[in-house]
Amino acid sequence: MREPTGAPPPGANPYIPVPFRVSGRRRETADTVTLRLRSPSGDGLPFEPGQFMMLYVFGVGEVPVSASGAPRRAGILEHTVRAVGPVTRRLVALRRGDWVGVRGPFGRGWPLALAEGFDVLIVAGGLGLAPLRSALLQILAQRDRYRQVTVLYGARSPADLLYRLDLSRWQQRPDLELRVTVDRADERWRGQIGVVPALIAQVERHFEPARTVALVCGPEVMMRFTVRELQKRGVPDDLIYLSLERNMKCALGLCGHCQFGPAFICKDGPVMPFSRLAPFSEIREL
Amino acid sequence: MSGHTPAEILASHPFTADLSEEDRAQLARLARLAVYDPDDYLLREGQPATAFYLIVEGLVSIELFIPGHGPRPLQTVEGGSAVGWSWMLAPSRWEFDARALERTTAVVLDGERLRDLFIEDCCLGLRVVHRLLFVVAERLKAARLQLLDLYGPPREL
Repeated sequence: MREPTGAPPPGANPYIPVPFRVSGRRRETADTVTLRLRSPSGDGLPFEPGQFMMLYVFGVGEVPVSASGAPRRAGILEHTVRAVGPVTRRLVALRRGDWVGVRGPFGRGWPLALAEGFDVLIVAGGLGLAPLRSALLQILAQRDRYRQVTVLYGARSPADLLYRLDLSRWQQRPDLELRVTVDRADERWRGQIGVVPALIAQVERHFEPARTVALVCGPEVMMRFTVRELQKRGVPDDLIYLSLERNMKCALGLCGHCQFGPAFICKDGPVMPFSRLAPFSEIREL
Repeated sequence: MSGHTPAEILASHPFTADLSEEDRAQLARLARLAVYDPDDYLLREGQPATAFYLIVEGLVSIELFIPGHGPRPLQTVEGGSAVGWSWMLAPSRWEFDARALERTTAVVLDGERLRDLFIEDCCLGLRVVHRLLFVVAERLKAARLQLLDLYGPPREL
């Protein structure tokens, strides 16, 4: 029943980025790429799924990005980045051989040790699949530790689906139930159309609510409706984990930019149980 | 499922499973089993709405045909849910198309006989309409969330 800790990252000075070189770049969608970063020294920044790094484009700025690759690969990081502003646009434009600064890992990750012996229900919306991919890769590497594993993934359109190769591989695994839906599509799409919380009703028989750990990441409205669907079916609030996104700056719980009620998302999150978030979840503009 | 009778399917279908055996037997008398191949239409916009579909297996696309653009899928319905409520509402014409995306099995209930049954047995009518209202509310909620375009790019802070 061990949870990932929010321990400060290793290294003498957590404000100083470690240089990593871009060793691979995979375009996911029109505005999103997955960067593979390699440490020239071969040393870690070992992370736990759900934790995030601060990625620094030299001379431009720094943004928090969740780790999306398999953990425990010494010296290799994967981050999926969508171009939405000046820093992320530069990150998306990086090419093999370019340098990027990395600080981290920061925060608390997904409770994968807690979930051992439980059904695992992963609910992802849009780019929210990125931190959950990291968790799923670890779960699949230790598949016998978990009961039924179900993944529900919603995207804006078929063109916005991330990790297509992974999705196709996961679809074929007999030990994984995967459902994918999109909000809109044309007539060439043969899959589901609708929002991801609605998929929960379809997979009810795949999880036992009281013995289910739900891992949820996506836009906050999507998470809100997902939590309601899970609660309706009896999944306890302390077994529903959400990954929150806020304005992380120092990533060390000092600057206060990412404060959410009494918590700092960078340090106490980004992954938190809904039981802890519930008292603040109805406060608007928080 | 093709080897089962409508009565047997109604006993396990989420829409009807918790109705009494007697209620289900009344519904089964108005029901037939239908199988649709991919791209078969269950129902088409503008045509008389004469049936209520309980989807057993498969996937159905609710869509609208836009001249010059072709069919525009709006939502899909999986096995375990229901399609079509226009049979309850005058003038009982379908407002959208419903097309099978996969091989789909449905229990098809006769709309006119259902309406008559509901007049005869108002309690059964209320129980079925209550379930249908749940389906309509879920479909409406999903449509509202779809309108929000939740996965659009966020603002970088």
